[in-house]
Amino acid sequence: MKKSLKTDAVRTSLAEQGLTQKQLAKDLGVTSQAVTNWLQGKDFPRPAKLLKLATALRLSFEELVQTSAKGHPIVAFRKKGNAKTTATHIAKAHGIGMLLKPLVPYLSEIQALRTLITSPSTDYHKLQTAVSQTREHLGVGEQAVLAYEHLIGEFKNSGAVLVPVLWGAKGSHENALHIGLPEEDITFIFLNLDTHLEDFKFWMAHELAHVYTPELSGTDEGEDFADAFAGALLFPQACAEQAYHQAIQQTNETDTIHALLQWAIEHMISLNTVYQKIQQYAQAHELPGLPVKEKSIHTTRNSNHGSLISAALFDPMPPEPKLYIAAYENTFQSDFFNAMKRMIHETGTGPSYIQQVLNTSLQDATALHKELSH
Amino acid sequence: MTLALLDTNAYLRLAKRIKPMLGVKFGQKEYELTIPKVVEEEVHRSSRLRFLYPWFDDDEQAAERLAKQVRLSKDEKAQLLAATSILHNHVLNNAACYITKGRSPPSNTDCYILAFGQIRPAIVVTDDLGMHKLAREFAIPVWHGHELLRKMLSAKLISNDHVREIYQALEANDDLPQTWRVARHVAFKKIFGPPV
Repeated sequence: MKKSLKTDAVRTSLAEQGLTQKQLAKDLGVTSQAVTNWLQGKDFPRPAKLLKLATALRLSFEELVQTSAKGHPIVAFRKKGNAKTTATHIAKAHGIGMLLKPLVPYLSEIQALRTLITSPSTDYHKLQTAVSQTREHLGVGEQAVLAYEHLIGEFKNSGAVLVPVLWGAKGSHENALHIGLPEEDITFIFLNLDTHLEDFKFWMAHELAHVYTPELSGTDEGEDFADAFAGALLFPQACAEQAYHQAIQQTNETDTIHALLQWAIEHMISLNTVYQKIQQYAQAHELPGLPVKEKSIHTTRNSNHGSLISAALFDPMPPEPKLYIAAYENTFQSDFFNAMKRMIHETGTGPSYIQQVLNTSLQDATALHKELSH
Repeated sequence: MTLALLDTNAYLRLAKRIKPMLGVKFGQKEYELTIPKVVEEEVHRSSRLRFLYPWFDDDEQAAERLAKQVRLSKDEKAQLLAATSILHNHVLNNAACYITKGRSPPSNTDCYILAFGQIRPAIVVTDDLGMHKLAREFAIPVWHGHELLRKMLSAKLISNDHVREIYQALEANDDLPQTWRVARHVAFKKIFGPPV
């Protein structure tokens, strides 16, 4: 990757520091001509000189160096509640993406023939068409409950590697993280297992939408489409139609919510998803909406949370490393730890690598490393 | 005066048995051992480290660290962050070079410690092989923990018994790095004898 200095930033910083080009060259222990060559893009500083240059100018790598975005990871977050995404979150996810690159050659052969949604749209009818075709592709009927297994298998078929993580039910910024590596043509999807059962499938479907629409990854448009697609895939028009006609016959709000809750439980999705999909169905067909306040839906939802996926999978928590590693292959059909094991055996990678790519504690990383080193 | 900056593992391997340690000047270059604040934070963040090294928060140890902590000006912090970002980007863009032979890619915190030498005369003490590789590429002076031990022994800051005790303790805790094993019969031949 050809790199050059951002000359405007260098000149601005020189002026701010009250330094001339000649003084800078002297401080760095190079000739004035060398600095001129760097600024003209004829040459690029060696690592040690680049370090001194950045320090002298108080410029970070991003401020100082012009690089091509080619090959950079593309990241998208499934944020928790109202969590704000900062530059630190993006930098950290980007860093994980860069660290994952050496792992790719150790993964089993990646599926090259993939399903794509070529014209993603949040228009109700177009979305239903996309969802209907997706369900057909997955072998699931219009009104059938979409199971986790359908989604998990489809990730594998779409060149995506699932990375289930234990990031805690509270505190962390995201519940899912999508890291696409364009040059390697692969996507890593981090799913937080410390998530309520009724939300988990929605996030998986959301991430599947990203996999189907790689050109929208990392954009607001991509997030909007992924949300719309996930809800529609899990509770499509045929389900919404049935649920609408049943719910509209109820005589009061409590009974209506109760009816919706039964649909949510049957499909293992949240009450809010059922409610939103029914309302969208009604609007698209110019029918009156359900006489239920959104606030009542949220109140009911918050008092009816299911258990966490992690607890359902690993009880008792936290899982032993062996059990956690086995779940990757057996439950999530993920080659992640197999590849990690191959890499550790072949190259002798240390435990801090696991700590950094899984964004976990050194304690857990060391335990996993020990298990994978056997 | 040259600061000898210990990373977390280097500090934890030595601090229990060498007292006083931080702030004591030794050798012709007047090396002075110190640990950056990030080490303090790293230990407090990790329940495993706190469990394995319960003495870390003993009054005597904590007071010594606090008294000898290096204070940085706003401008020095800006320089340190700039240098850290150069080092960490180099690691991320060359990650494949840092995953072999027992190495892990240096983290942002590791890069921060290595960057310290750009703002103060300093040498970093670490047994992390990834950090050593990065330091070589950027011409940053760096020692293994056993090299620091050798310097302290030469300066009579510690005795042969100290060296013996530290080696025994690390071995008993299954925490003796390979580089220390190799150094045992080379750098400390008078204590442990020649290689068998």
